Amino acid sequence: MIIITEEKEGLRAVFEGRLDTPAAVKAQQEVGPLLENADKTITLDCTNLDYISSSGLRLFLTIRKEASAKGGTVIIENINEEIRKVFMMTGFFNLFEIRNA
Amino acid sequence: MKHLTLPNDIETIPRLNEFIDGFCEEQGISMDVCMSLNLAIEEAVVNVMNYAYPEGTAGHVDIEVDADKESITFVISDTGKPFDPTKKEDVDITLPAEKRTVGGLGIHLTRQIMDAVDYRYTDHRNILTLRKKIYKQKVL
Repeated sequence: MIIITEEKEGLRAVFEGRLDTPAAVKAQQEVGPLLENADKTITLDCTNLDYISSSGLRLFLTIRKEASAKGGTVIIENINEEIRKVFMMTGFFNLFEIRNA
Repeated sequence: MKHLTLPNDIETIPRLNEFIDGFCEEQGISMDVCMSLNLAIEEAVVNVMNYAYPEGTAGHVDIEVDADKESITFVISDTGKPFDPTKKEDVDITLPAEKRTVGGLGIHLTRQIMDAVDYRYTDHRNILTLRKKIYKQKVL
C-alpha cells in the first residue's frame, strides 16, 4: 500500500516493504493522484522500501513520463543499496533526481 | 537440489521469494546476492506467468535450483508456447525518460544479474537455465 500525502509543493508517496510484481500491480491502482498532480513536485519516499522488481520500476517510469509531459518534477528519496544497484543496471539514475539522506 | 511448482498466477510470487530465500540461507549465500537472485528469477518466472499460456488458461511454471562450490543454477521450465527470452532485444538504458519504453526491463535485469542464461525448447517445454557464480560466506 502506498500512503500519499500533500506537501507544500506537491505530493509525497511513501513506499514500504517489497514492490514485487503483485505489489506493483496493486500499486498501479493507487497512483492516480500522483499522475493527476504530475505538473507539481512528486516525491517518492523509498526510505522503507526493501525491494523493487521491474513492475515497480515501470510504475516509477510511468510517473516520470507523466511529469515530463506536464512539466513537473519527480524526486526519489532514500533508496537502499540493493535498489541502488537495480537503478544502476537500468539507467534509472539518469531519469530521476535522487536524494539520499 | 530443490524444486517448486507454481501456477501461472503472479499472486504466488511471494512463494518464489520464500523458496529462494530458504535456499540461499541453507547454502550460506550472502543477503545481497540472494536479493539479486530473487529479482533475476522473479522477472524470468513472471515472464512465463504472463505470456507463456493464453489468457485465462491455467498452466504451471517449474523452478529448480541447485548449487555447487562455484555457482548456483536455476532451471525454469513450462509447457507454454515456445519463447526464447535470450533473443529479446536489449533495452537502451541511456535514453532520456521521454524516449524510454516501459517494457523489456525485466529480462534486462535477469541478464544483468546472471552470468549465463541459456534457452532450449525440448519435448514441448521451454527450458531456461540461469547460472550465477557465487562466493559463499564462511559458515561459523
